[in-house]
Order: sequence, then structure tokens, then C-alpha cells
Amino acid sequence: MSWRGELNKLLSATYKNWIISKRNVFTVFELIFWPFISLLSIGLLTRFLEVADDMVAFVLVGAIALSILQISQIDVAYILLFDLWSKSIKQTFVAPVRGYHLVLGAMLFGVARGSAVFIILAAASRYLFGFDFLAGGGATVLIFLAGIFVTAASIGMVVCISILLFGQRADVAAWSLSGIMMLVSGVYYPVSILPWPLQILSKSIPLTYFLEFYRSAYGYGSHQVLLGMALALLYFAASLLILNLAIERARTTGMMLRLSE
Amino acid sequence: MAALRAEKISKSFRGLFKKKEVLHQVSLAIEEGEVFGILGPNGAGKTTLMSIFSTLIRPDEGRLEVLGLNALRDTHAIRERINISSGNPNFPWSLTVRENLNHSAMLYGLYGRDLARSVEGAISTFDLEAHVDSKFETLSTGLKQRVSLAKSILNRPEILFLDEPTSGLDPDMAMKTRALIHRIYREEEMTVVLTTHYMPEAEELCDRIAFLREGRLIALGTPGELKKALKIGDRIFIEYEGEIDPISLRIIPGVMDVRPSAGRVEVVFDRSGGALGRIIRAFDRAEILEMGLEKPDLEDVFLELAR
Repeated sequence: MSWRGELNKLLSATYKNWIISKRNVFTVFELIFWPFISLLSIGLLTRFLEVADDMVAFVLVGAIALSILQISQIDVAYILLFDLWSKSIKQTFVAPVRGYHLVLGAMLFGVARGSAVFIILAAASRYLFGFDFLAGGGATVLIFLAGIFVTAASIGMVVCISILLFGQRADVAAWSLSGIMMLVSGVYYPVSILPWPLQILSKSIPLTYFLEFYRSAYGYGSHQVLLGMALALLYFAASLLILNLAIERARTTGMMLRLSE
Repeated sequence: MAALRAEKISKSFRGLFKKKEVLHQVSLAIEEGEVFGILGPNGAGKTTLMSIFSTLIRPDEGRLEVLGLNALRDTHAIRERINISSGNPNFPWSLTVRENLNHSAMLYGLYGRDLARSVEGAISTFDLEAHVDSKFETLSTGLKQRVSLAKSILNRPEILFLDEPTSGLDPDMAMKTRALIHRIYREEEMTVVLTTHYMPEAEELCDRIAFLREGRLIALGTPGELKKALKIGDRIFIEYEGEIDPISLRIIPGVMDVRPSAGRVEVVFDRSGGALGRIIRAFDRAEILEMGLEKPDLEDVFLELAR
């Protein structure tokens, strides 16, 4: 198979996500409505509580990061979710595609949508709350976004793995996993206020490190972004490996057929 | 050379409380360029066997070679060279026919002009031009089946698996599909493996047929071989006036069964031994009012095997 053939296998997931998203009115909600409502309500809450500017920055960074994470992870989860809802999973898995084709293709679309959310929310936070999201510099933004995208891809893959192992009902993971991230990775508060078992858990989540990294550019604490990136890449590789194993397991258990019925 | 060789393929699915065996020690070989039918009643394991052959699912036991490759190890290489049209097909609902075919072609690594040519060719082959911009969810069952068939030839597979290829099609399109399968078989030298419930279709298309019942292969051969092996003979029915002795019919060499009723008798016999003339002569002392001869078809084989 030529490199263009391989590239097109990868882009097949991008193509499908793009077509479905552009035709789905819910995309507008995913891309603009919910992220904007989240940013606005959190921002207004900081106004009401009359918190200091650096604390506003702290909270807004978390709100924006969570929105990007949510939209990027759902795009990877859509690899299976769209097929699951259309009962067309076997059309994908009877074709000569591998897990990485699907993940990287969907991730590409997730990066595009996540970047769009970032631009919209960064502009809104500057206009509405006077917070300059680019003050930390372009490199900081790129590392921050890259970390979120890689973490989001791992979460999306965990959703896919859950569906392949446990069946259709596991699609609830698509919306619950990012909620757990919100709780333990210091999205709206520093992880130091968490009970110690959750603090230990937070140290195992890459998002914690990317949030600390970005906030450090605004003078809020120190960071260990390299550790965060190493963890994110480790989870990405492990998730991809487990996804491939889950696909093979679904072929053995017959889940592949049941998900198409 | 065998396009596909299966040895002692078994498959079970685990339910909530117990394991259900769906296929038991199925062994068969399908030759290159052959149209091979897999028949059997509902729940016989046809779709499971087809799914295993197309590498969608893995068998629990047994060996499977597809195009000379180990189907448990070289699955990716095999998938490049085969394709399947599923019964009751589904594709992403909100994609149009063309978008679904484009997407499927991309999954098979097609690109550029090859992709466009394959998609256009498949659209034209299955008369889908008028529906290319319709979303899949709005299509009738027959049109969905045609999209699935169109998808199955995108990568010009060496083995084409067709699960109930004409189910849901109107008679005209069903006939066209059968003609296409004939053409593929002859011109493209493609091996075709199909399941069907429609016996005349299997008889028309298939060089050889495997019958499955409760997950076991119970018969394998050409339609003619199967009829012979099962002693399914020709059937003559005669309506008459007068008296005949059914025993005189039963003792004729080649007569397999005699079913008498008032003024009518039905005789099943093997045509090869000259039994037909002797049967007619047995009515010397009666007046034949009406007579008909039926050759056995695959339906009879199916009914016999499914019993």
C-alpha cells in the first residue's frame, strides 16, 4: 500500500467526522454554545465573588482547557460512536484499517475543532473579562494545546475500548470521563485542596501538569510539564495498544457483530 | 488452487449464563473463480461463517486460509483483497450514498482518480445515480442493499462475500444483481461466496453449495450431486380413472416413493434407470386423465436437509 493509500485510510475518519459534524446542528452547540456558556458563567461567577485578577486567570484557564478537552476527546470517541448509533461498525472493521488510522484521523479533526474552540474562547475571555490568553507566548499556548489534544485522544480511546469490551451502554463513558478529569486535575481549583487520595490520582493525570504549566506563565506556581508530556504520550501509546487488543477481543467475543445489530 | 480453505472451524458465543455453539468443526474448501453458496435455515450459522471467512470475527478453533494467507494472522493483508456485502446493511446514516462510498473507498486505501473511478463505477453498476445525494437513512431497504453491493466491489476484491445479496431488492434489481454476479464470476475471475434463502437463486448462481444446520456442515457438493446423494428423484403425478395397484408401482426398479390418493398418484423416481416408461405402462388398465413431471430443485434438497 502506497503512502497516499495509507494517508487516505487515516483521513477516512477525518472525512466521516467532518461530514457528520457539518450536517449536525448539535455541532454548533458542541463548538460554540456549551463552551461559551461555560466560560461566561464561570467568568461571571468570578465577578460576583470579586476574586483577584490572577484568580480569574486561574479559573478561566481551567474552563477553556476543559472545553477543548471535551470536544477533542469526543471526536476520537466518535470513531465508534457514529458507527455504533448507525449500527455500521462492521463496515469499518471488515476494511483493512488499523486502530492508529482511525485514531489519528479522528484526532486530526479533534485538533481542528479543539483549536476553533480555543480561538473562540480566548477571544471571548479577552473581550469579556480582559484576560489575555496569549500573554504567556505562542510556544506556551502550543505546548498547552498539544498536551490537551494528546490527553483527549487517550480519553477518546478509553471510550472506544469501553464500548468494544462492554457494549453499547458503555457509550456513557464519552461524557463521564471528562467530568472525572474536571474533578481531579485541578480545572477550577489547585489540586492541593483535594483529599490526599485524589491528590495522588491527580498526579497521574497529564491534564494536571498542563494546567499548572499554563498557569505558571501567569505567575501561578511552578510546573513539571515534561513529566506531564511523558505521561500523556505514555497513556496515548498504551491506549492505542489496548484499543487494538480490544478490537481483536471484540472479534473473538462476537461483540463486533452485536454492535452492528 | 483453493481461494479459501477452512478446517474444523468452531465458534461459540457466550451468553449471560451459558455458551452457545454456533459453528461446529466446519471444514470446506472453495476454489478460485468459483461461486459458492452457503445455505441453511435461520440460525444455522451462515452469517457467522461468512463473518469468520471475511475476518470480521475470529473462530475459537480451527484453521482458516484465505487466498493462501493465514486468516488468523495475516488478517490485514487479507482484508485488502476481499470485500463483503452484509445482509440488512447499515452505513453512517447522515452520509449520502456518494459520501458513504467515498468513505468506504478511503477505508480501502483508494485515492485520487482510482477512488473517483471506483466510486463512479459502483454507482453506475448498481443504478444509484438518482440517489447519490440522498442520505443513507432516507433510502428504502432495496436501495440500502444496492449501496452495500456497490461498496463491496470498490476495491475489486479477489473474493467477494455476499450475505443475502438480493434480499429486499425488487425482482428487476434482483435479476440484475444475479446477472452481475454471473459477470463478475466470468469476466473478473472473482471468487464469490454467498448466502441466500432463495433456492432458485442458489441453483442459478452456485457451482457448489454447502448446507449448514445447527452449526454443522451436513452436505457439500454441486446441486446435482446433492440431489443424487439425497436420492431426491424426479416426481411424476398422474390423475387417472380405473384401478391401479400401488404395489405394482413400488416394485419398479428406480421408484423411490409412491404417494397414492383418490384418483391420483404421485411417484418419485430415479430417471436414469428407465423407470419412467415402466411407471406409465403400469397404467395400462386405467385411463390417464392428466399427467405432469417435475424435476427436483434445490428447494427439495433444502427441505430434505433442513428436516
